[in-house]
Amino acid sequence: MSAAGVVSDLRARFGPAVLAEQVTRDSFPTLWIATDAAPAVHRFLKHEIEQPFRMLADLWAIDETARQHRDGQPPSGVTVASHLISHDRNADIRLKVPLEADYPRAQSIAGVFPNAEWYEREAFDMFGVEFVGRPHHLRILLPPGWEGHPMRKDQPGRATERAPFNMTAALFDAKEHALAANPQAFGLPTQRDGVELMILNYGPHSMATHGVFRVVLALDGEEIVAARPDIGFHHRGAEKMAERQNWHSFLPYTDRVDYLGGVMGELPYLQAVEKLCGITVPDRAMMVRVMLSEFFRIMNHLLFYGTMAQDTGAMSPVFYMFTDREHAYRVIEAITGARMHPCFFRIGGLSMDLPVGWEQMVRDFLDWMPSRLDDYDGMVLRNEIFRARTVGVAEYDTAVALDWGVTGPGLRATGLGWDLRKARPYCGFENFEFDVPVGVRGDCFDRTKVRVEEMRQSLRIIRQCVDNMPAGPIKADHPLTTPPPRERMLHDIESMIHHFVGTSWGPVVPVGEATGQVETVRGLTQFSLISDGETASYRTRIRTPSFPHLQMISAVAPGMMVADLVAYLGSIDYVMSDVDR
Amino acid sequence: MIGMLITATISVTMIMVLLVVAGTFTWVERRLLAFVQERLGPNRVGPFGFLQWVADTVKILTKEDRPPPGADPGAYYLAPAVGATPILAGFGVVVFGDGLTLAAVDVGVMFLLGMMGLTVYAVVLGAWASHSRYALMGGMRAAAQMLAYEAFLGLSLMGVVMLAGSLSMTAIVEAQRDVWFVVLQPLGAALFCIAGVAAAHRLPFDLPESENDLVAGYLTEYSGMSFGLFFLGEYLAVLLVSALAVTLFFGGWHGPFLPGAVWFGLKTGVIAVVFVWIRATLPRPRYDQLLNFAWKIALPLALLNLLLTGVIVVARSAS
Amino acid sequence: MTRPNAVHALLYLVVTLLALAVSFFALGAAFAAVLLIMIYAGAIVVLFVFVVMTLPTAPEAMARERAALNRAWPLPAIMSVLVIAPFLFGLGEVAPGIAAPVSAQAVGRLLFGPWALAIELASLLLLAGLIGVRHIGRSDRVRGDRR
Repeated sequence: MSAAGVVSDLRARFGPAVLAEQVTRDSFPTLWIATDAAPAVHRFLKHEIEQPFRMLADLWAIDETARQHRDGQPPSGVTVASHLISHDRNADIRLKVPLEADYPRAQSIAGVFPNAEWYEREAFDMFGVEFVGRPHHLRILLPPGWEGHPMRKDQPGRATERAPFNMTAALFDAKEHALAANPQAFGLPTQRDGVELMILNYGPHSMATHGVFRVVLALDGEEIVAARPDIGFHHRGAEKMAERQNWHSFLPYTDRVDYLGGVMGELPYLQAVEKLCGITVPDRAMMVRVMLSEFFRIMNHLLFYGTMAQDTGAMSPVFYMFTDREHAYRVIEAITGARMHPCFFRIGGLSMDLPVGWEQMVRDFLDWMPSRLDDYDGMVLRNEIFRARTVGVAEYDTAVALDWGVTGPGLRATGLGWDLRKARPYCGFENFEFDVPVGVRGDCFDRTKVRVEEMRQSLRIIRQCVDNMPAGPIKADHPLTTPPPRERMLHDIESMIHHFVGTSWGPVVPVGEATGQVETVRGLTQFSLISDGETASYRTRIRTPSFPHLQMISAVAPGMMVADLVAYLGSIDYVMSDVDR
Repeated sequence: MIGMLITATISVTMIMVLLVVAGTFTWVERRLLAFVQERLGPNRVGPFGFLQWVADTVKILTKEDRPPPGADPGAYYLAPAVGATPILAGFGVVVFGDGLTLAAVDVGVMFLLGMMGLTVYAVVLGAWASHSRYALMGGMRAAAQMLAYEAFLGLSLMGVVMLAGSLSMTAIVEAQRDVWFVVLQPLGAALFCIAGVAAAHRLPFDLPESENDLVAGYLTEYSGMSFGLFFLGEYLAVLLVSALAVTLFFGGWHGPFLPGAVWFGLKTGVIAVVFVWIRATLPRPRYDQLLNFAWKIALPLALLNLLLTGVIVVARSAS
Repeated sequence: MTRPNAVHALLYLVVTLLALAVSFFALGAAFAAVLLIMIYAGAIVVLFVFVVMTLPTAPEAMARERAALNRAWPLPAIMSVLVIAPFLFGLGEVAPGIAAPVSAQAVGRLLFGPWALAIELASLLLLAGLIGVRHIGRSDRVRGDRR
């Protein structure tokens, strides 16, 4: 990773506008920049340097008002942080802008990075940050009538801390009315070339939207003239919950951020926590983590494959794939004891060791799957009608994808083979042999094909796990490992104390900031954690891949037919809990 | 007078039998789909779940059924009836065996086509009366699709009519005593089957309901027995198209050993099962692709088939 | 008879066409009857309904139509009387029953024999109509490639 040169470039170019450089527990350079310089700095990084930072991976706010430990950071009430990625350099940079606490006003960077649009709306929604240069500020995750900005530290963290909620008939009517698909509110055109357009409220309960998500469409006949995605129906406030749960008890929530990713959602969180604690995870635990994650990748992609075929009208494949998923679930159940949300990983390792006989079960699955995948190729990928429905539909190229913050298979289908497992190996991925499948056209068909190929690669990875599973401990020898190994707890008083504190109050993670990044089933999932030396996280930022993918719909959808939109939505492979968190 | 009474009794009996057959067919379809898709399907009610359709009928009859706000109640309730009635009327001219028919109409084939054409009103009317944009889009698709497919449905079977020299179903079956028309008219048979699937709104040509993008298209706002009647119409249409295919291309009631009516039933059943098989296998093309196929490929092919058949018939009669 | 709501009016037209077809049947012209159902009821009126159903039925438009219809009743009433009167008076005179059917072959011989010239002229007219529709229906708008 070579972001070091950028820091000196920035200092040379912007001088005093670069306020400070912060040291964090991860390897990404973190710079504080002056509020007014933000658009210029972002433009510089995106357009004016060699090997630019072309993707805005994340933009989020931090309420600093209750924070104890801010050594070496400029004074700030609310901080807006942005996270940029350069694929050419394979490097990231994090920029922070200090704002005042009472009336936070930042400069909008939506003119530089189009996908900042939704992130800025989210920062406004959750923290009340206003962005100069935006025509209006709309809520995005919370309903339009919500009062207050819930992620601020002075806002209640639990429902019991506020007056009891009472849904009156009048309130119910008001909520219903707020959901009407009013073209003005969505900024939709009502006419094109003198032809009146039909406004169609697509979702949030349509089967085509795969969850509680809606798109408001302006249609000319069946052609989509404009589309406005609308999210927030699945919002559960996972980031706020993280501030009320201790570091250990937040783990089950990470499973549910992307409810089809299973244990994979725990990985980026644990990476960040383990970086903060300075824990090195033992080899066996790492390989089990890899194996289970790849299992869930296969299971998610199978579900995607089936529903993608279903979205084009083929009703059978999804049933076959559920049979396969059941086979995989049998292995998952045997190992973790659960199916969708195992919560199997722990800070510093795993909750338990692999059961006796696991190898045979995994090998059975590895023998079962390949021939089935070959069958599906004929049933779906080589089917003429499926090709007619997907080839050339919802095409976008790499530049557009990066502009909108696309990661994962949606990015690889455009031909850019960016996979964190290869680019920045974690959990020992550098020791595995596997390929990163890429597409050519970046259309629905390529996105499907890339995922199908990824399943084959995941099978390869799992086979290598079975063949080379190392022996050894499954938990790190570290005081913050939660819960600590039981045999040690029973043996010496020091471990006993840690066990007691860790399970009653929760572990106290050292002060610092760290980011964990993982190539999950949908793309880049990133947990940015701030510890203030407490038993709970001070700020947990969850960057999920589906969020920007949905934002992109308004750019890709115009010109399609309604049926194409369904194929397109299917090919994004999003999960609403992953979008709304 | 007595003759009319007998005809009426036979008609009512036939309608009853057809309703039972349609109900049975829904069960067959669900079991068959389940078999193809590694599932079990309905297997709880009665032996092998056979009585499932009875339970479903009871359920659907007792469900609430009322038009949504803003709908046109008259048209809303009329539409499902328009869906089922012409199909039932169409069965009136089907020849189930040698002389086994309710009305030996001279232009039986055309009468059937006309009746099948009328079912489009059910879809369009239901869509319009529902006062829903999804339904409206389904209705528009249905109208466009029906016009496109009616055109070459009629043309594809004119080759058969030429060979048989008659529009009467009895005469057409009689003309296949030696060799089935599917052998002489392979192109016509293929086109007819495609158009038949479209006329019955079955996957891959079920765009008017297309549950993946239009919720349920014209059926979106329907529930209870109004919904049931639409469905009845659809399943009867599948059987009618199968019966027509058997009559036109697969030798009607001709077959060794067994009585003619049994052969006819068996053949119709096989074709209906093929319908289910197609449904389990294929994805659904897009609306514009479908219309392109109908107007730009299928229709010219049907005309070509007609031309070739005409040349052959004329040449044969001249020699 | 007509209605403020255009779709209802079209439905009445369909019913009229079907009734006409039954009349043809009763007169033995089965071929003509079936053609009427297929072409007129099955295709042409469907197109009308197709267009009309996309029109909005705003309450004010309905009120306007209703007002217009309120003044326009005498002419339809006279026509109804003209149609119904012979039906009522002639009821006892024509023996009920179905006339001898004319076979489709006979119709074909007639059409392509003595009336071949008329058929060709009619087809020319349709061709002209087709070309005209193609010309008018051409969209001047420049659209993106729809794939």
